[in-house]
Amino acid sequence: MADANGPNAAVTGVQGAAAAVRPAGPSTRPSALRRIFRTPKGVVGGVLVALVVLTGIFGPILIPKDAATHIDVLHRLAPPSVHHLLGTDQLGRDELVRMLLGARTSLYVGVFAVGLSILIGLPLGVVGGYFGGWVDLVLMRIVDAIISFPVLLLALTISAVLGPNLTNATLSIGIVYAPYLARIARSEVLKVAALPYVEAARASGAGHLWIMLRTVLPNIMPPVIVQATISMAFAILAEAALSFLGLGTQPPTPSWGLMIQAARDYLDMAPWTALVPGTAIALSVLGLNMLGDSLRDALDPSFVMDEGS
Amino acid sequence: MFSYVLKRLSLLVLTLWIVLTVTFFLTNVVPGNVAVMILGTRSNPQTLAALEKELGLTEPLPVQYVRWLGRTVSGHWGKSLRFDQPITQLVGQKLVTSSMLVVLALLIALVASIPMGVVAARRQNRWEDTASSGAALIGISLPDFFWGILFILIFSKWLRLLPASGSVDPGQDFLASVKHALLPALALGVGLMAHLTRMTRSAMLETLSKDYVRVSRAKGLAERTVIYKHALRNAIGPVLTVAGLQLGYLFGGVIVVESLFNYTGLGWLTYQALLNRDIPLIQASVLVIAAIFMGINLVVDLLYRTLDPRIEYG
Repeated sequence: MADANGPNAAVTGVQGAAAAVRPAGPSTRPSALRRIFRTPKGVVGGVLVALVVLTGIFGPILIPKDAATHIDVLHRLAPPSVHHLLGTDQLGRDELVRMLLGARTSLYVGVFAVGLSILIGLPLGVVGGYFGGWVDLVLMRIVDAIISFPVLLLALTISAVLGPNLTNATLSIGIVYAPYLARIARSEVLKVAALPYVEAARASGAGHLWIMLRTVLPNIMPPVIVQATISMAFAILAEAALSFLGLGTQPPTPSWGLMIQAARDYLDMAPWTALVPGTAIALSVLGLNMLGDSLRDALDPSFVMDEGS
Repeated sequence: MFSYVLKRLSLLVLTLWIVLTVTFFLTNVVPGNVAVMILGTRSNPQTLAALEKELGLTEPLPVQYVRWLGRTVSGHWGKSLRFDQPITQLVGQKLVTSSMLVVLALLIALVASIPMGVVAARRQNRWEDTASSGAALIGISLPDFFWGILFILIFSKWLRLLPASGSVDPGQDFLASVKHALLPALALGVGLMAHLTRMTRSAMLETLSKDYVRVSRAKGLAERTVIYKHALRNAIGPVLTVAGLQLGYLFGGVIVVESLFNYTGLGWLTYQALLNRDIPLIQASVLVIAAIFMGINLVVDLLYRTLDPRIEYG
């Protein structure tokens, strides 16, 4: 039955009791997935995110290498036309091509920065919530202190200090969002750790590490996934802001934030140079937010988010 | 209440200490120290060594940390390398300029979002609701610097109504200073506006379903009175709390917006410090912004607890 691949299936002898109380396990996933895509919000969000992901992966493979850097001085700041569907920038480079290539940068930052915050935040939150006491106190004080910095300020400072480039920007964004994941993970662990199946695992003689990894972790994943989706939207916005200020991605790597920075001086002559990358940012962030929202509704209707902007 | 305030204040001191420590170590991994920045990279090694000694940079890091902590806490923030001015004076001036921007942004956000949220709640699932929810979603999905550029384009380049860059000291010419702050405040406020619209809508939907609203309607009160006197007054508490908490976030957002508009406030100052690797100024401005952020959050929390006696002091 459903319990066969449940999180605590390995703990023999307590399966019956555990199956009765387990709030969410792999067995509910198919229906949760279906629930996401039943709402228009989930469908639109899913399509937008899929578009960005596909563009990010296949764009650089399909677009000829020199298309992005091809400088056409005769057609500088050309308005959208048949030759350049979305116009050209101040160097005569095609805006559409640069926007499509910029998707990879945003995707890269979104995936690796959020991956890093999960890597840092999840263990901190799980260990703090599981052990409680002074371990929890110390960890949560540090988390609170880092949350006391406005996120962008801290990300900018770390990136500027390490030396501005794409890798360091990703690193700084990942560090900045880690405490939010730690908080979510901790509060979920507190809920889960008191449940009978954890107690059962403990009674059967399982070690702390085993319980944390096999019993607690799988059950706190839904809210963590929701937070990760929404953090990805913030990461994309943060990369754009950092690059816009010259403290993130450096030219000639295509980045939406950099494109907007360049557009600043040509606004009245060529507004499309700002609108094209702006729309790209908006659509990807919108998509991630919508997907995150419907994920939350599907996985746990009563779950309240800590957005942490 | 008193013991609660005391507890929160001591936690604040602890958090501030961690913030100070993080700031110190963060700015000490910068390649090249303050002495190199003062003299330049091609300076005479002997002069450099002498200055390093004078500034205490040859001491072990923990000693430097303790000294720095002492100086910072006692308000000896030193001089900015980039601006060649005492940092306390510099930060003080810019704080006034930024406060004006932030307060204006908050006002704009409140004035626009509350009516939008009320209308959306009253016309739930009609086009007004869809329109305002859609606008709110777009509002939070676009970065503030994009809004800034859009507003420069519309209000400054096309309509020629407002200046696109610079700032004026409110003490000199108040009207001109408001004019310069208006576009950056608008750009800064859009995100908050979207957030508050959503909050007002859900808070209003909740109160509109309450019994006392039904009673006041049954009594035959005018719909206007029911909405604005009875429902909104009860719904607005949490909205104002969020608005207050967001004041801190607005201070965090000033870096990008002020740099875009060349609005010479605290955010602009921080950006200049970061660009020029002006370490003492980076430390000071990062600390001041973090402290404001924490201070506002504490004050809002305490105010909220005073206003709503139902909340327990944990």
